Amino acid sequence: MALPLKYNYRNVLIRWRTTLFTVIGVAAVVSVVILLKALAKGIESSSARTGEPGNILVVRKGSQAESGSLVTRDQFRTLQFFEEIDRNAAGQPVVSAELVMIINAPRRAAPGSANTLIRGVTPRGLELRPKVTLVEGRWFQPGQREVTVSKKLAGRFEGFEVGGIIRAGPDRLRVVGLFEAGGSAFDSEAWMDADEARAIFDRSEMYSSILLRPRDDAAMRSLTNRIAQDKRLGLRAEPETEYYSKQTATAVPFNILAGLLGTAMSVGAVFAAMNTMYANVASRTREIGTLRVLGYSRAAIVVSFLIEGVLLSGLGGMVGCALSLGIYAYVVARGVTFGTMDFQSFAETVYQFRVTPDLMALGLVFSLVIGLIGSFLPALRAARLPVISALKSL
Amino acid sequence: MSSADSQGTPSPSERRHRASGITIPGFVLKNALRNGRRAMLTVLSVAVSCALLVTLLTLQRELTVPPESEAASFRIIARNKVSLAQPLPARQRSTIEKIPGVRQVSPFTYFGGLFRDETTTSWAQFAVDPARFRELILEGKIIEGSYDAWVKNRNGCMVGADTLRRYGLKVGDKLRFTGTFYPVDLELIIETVYAGTIDDRNCFFHHALLDQLMDDWGMVGTWYMMADSAESVDGVIEGVNAAFENTSAEVRAETERAFQLGFVSMFGNVKMLFGSISAVVVFTLILVCVSTMSMAIRERFRELAVLKALGFRRRELFAFILAESFGLSMLGAFVGIGGAWLFWSTINLQKLSQGFLVYFEVTPRIMATGGIVAALLGIVAAIGPSVSVARMSVVSGLKTLD
Repeated sequence: MALPLKYNYRNVLIRWRTTLFTVIGVAAVVSVVILLKALAKGIESSSARTGEPGNILVVRKGSQAESGSLVTRDQFRTLQFFEEIDRNAAGQPVVSAELVMIINAPRRAAPGSANTLIRGVTPRGLELRPKVTLVEGRWFQPGQREVTVSKKLAGRFEGFEVGGIIRAGPDRLRVVGLFEAGGSAFDSEAWMDADEARAIFDRSEMYSSILLRPRDDAAMRSLTNRIAQDKRLGLRAEPETEYYSKQTATAVPFNILAGLLGTAMSVGAVFAAMNTMYANVASRTREIGTLRVLGYSRAAIVVSFLIEGVLLSGLGGMVGCALSLGIYAYVVARGVTFGTMDFQSFAETVYQFRVTPDLMALGLVFSLVIGLIGSFLPALRAARLPVISALKSL
Repeated sequence: MSSADSQGTPSPSERRHRASGITIPGFVLKNALRNGRRAMLTVLSVAVSCALLVTLLTLQRELTVPPESEAASFRIIARNKVSLAQPLPARQRSTIEKIPGVRQVSPFTYFGGLFRDETTTSWAQFAVDPARFRELILEGKIIEGSYDAWVKNRNGCMVGADTLRRYGLKVGDKLRFTGTFYPVDLELIIETVYAGTIDDRNCFFHHALLDQLMDDWGMVGTWYMMADSAESVDGVIEGVNAAFENTSAEVRAETERAFQLGFVSMFGNVKMLFGSISAVVVFTLILVCVSTMSMAIRERFRELAVLKALGFRRRELFAFILAESFGLSMLGAFVGIGGAWLFWSTINLQKLSQGFLVYFEVTPRIMATGGIVAALLGIVAAIGPSVSVARMSVVSGLKTLD
């Protein structure tokens, strides 16, 4: 026969002081793990949200990021007349040759400066990215030194607000509008006219990448193969979504850190939980003897103490989840964004950290495992107490 | 008794202990270890937390404080004002050379190629002018091959000793790099090996080779220069910045140190992230210790009441508790910090992290920080239980069960 659950939760509540310490300890571990994972998740989801399913991105073979890719004008001339490319209502091929550059801009809140991406796009480029929407001001005019920047960047860099001036060496670019890109990688960019960008950055013969839309799936396959097989071109074509889903290297350190800290801190938490549970067993020696006399089996005692340990740490897990949700809500409400340097583009990636249900589930499971491991030995000890001497103890 | 008398007049409490063969340190030690399992768990949890704290602080230092070299304060890096990714025209060299205080200048272009079949750039390659570069890395020593041979061989390169060891390379080996930023691939021969700089991982090759591969490119990544004295550094920086103002390629010059720190600042709020995690770790650590100490004291409430009844003063009881908690946490600190130090100095982290973490030096300062945290912890953990012991009346203490 099993001991009633009530026995456990009453015990947990009655020794509230030790319970509180253990709960807070476990909560700290769980929230650190969840929050670090949430940072990694934010980067990953920003990559996952970027790109339209039907689009193809063409970069130079061997380049790791768009900003480090070079596509010549000759290559673009060859490519733009491929018959696989779709045409828009006006009969123009839906293809956009773009230039991705890095500019160094002063930070708004903190001292120092950071790199940010500036993308030269064409009207076709805007058509190819319908998820990027204007939220303030207007789009840049072709032929003008104007930029429309991501709303998230506007909060991070000086001069990135509407009416502000962005300096690119001796050149000055006027900010005329803000856009939102739905949490995608474009939220870390500033956009301007492609031809103006090429003039400012001395890239008259060069682009960084080409974004295009094939007519249909068959055209997509044939175009990808055609580019891959043309050794002379030296280019690589892949679906835009696929290209971006691979750009998650920035998330790796956060995941490693979460794993490392999670392990080390949970070892500490297991010791703490063990301490608490041993003390619980020691202070309840007579009680345990009584239960045994009443006919509860050793197994029932083990299960009961395991449940108590799990209850204790599960409580900690829940507090940890609530804590990280609270921090998440605060961050969302304040509109705080995080930025880390992307080692591939050397520019700052701006992202929102995300506490998702699966991360909370992970945190909870984590806490339960801590409880199970921490209470295992104390539970065994409780079950092994000799009945008679247990009853005699004070 | 007689031996105690012969040594002068001991205090009453001291006499009591000697009579029963118990000394105060012995009493504290016995108390601390009488629940061996708890003592061990406490020491271990403090040890794990201290090791974690030390590791975090070391990681933070590694990421935010680039190693300093003396020569770096004489060296200046000039990049395009737009950003590091924007090249500078090669013709700027003659102008820079004329600026007073400039002793030597060389192009310094980050190639960022992929070594062999690797998929990420695991170590850096720079295109330089070897003849001029010699005067720029004063701290570097040639340990294999000859520098002159490299100067003469346009396809040759100079590689850092760390990289040489990592891949088991030797002078005369061919290195192949696939360009990532540049649409060209490199095929280089190791002519010489350097060591003794703050970063013995890099590969340096002829800028002339890059120019040739890029069809007379006429651009450089950055300028790397050396001032002739510490006093002229500021003048050189101002001179270089002013020289190209309002040209198509404006320049931003700064000391190598400032340049490195600027690079570090691009990581974002790394410092804040590590700071807050460390704070959480310390907080958890305190909780664990406080909870263990109060557990140990509560178990012993009756005994402490007996001690009080015997005439021990509050101060003495506090000293007992403090000594126990302080001792346990310092032992934990010793195990944890010592363990972390031993671990990080033994394993080859550079190899494990694929060159991302190089030094990971657990400095005395960091170890001292860990020790101070543990000491404070031992003291803080003793306060709560001591207060409740001080407040308890002997009678109620004696009545306590459990």
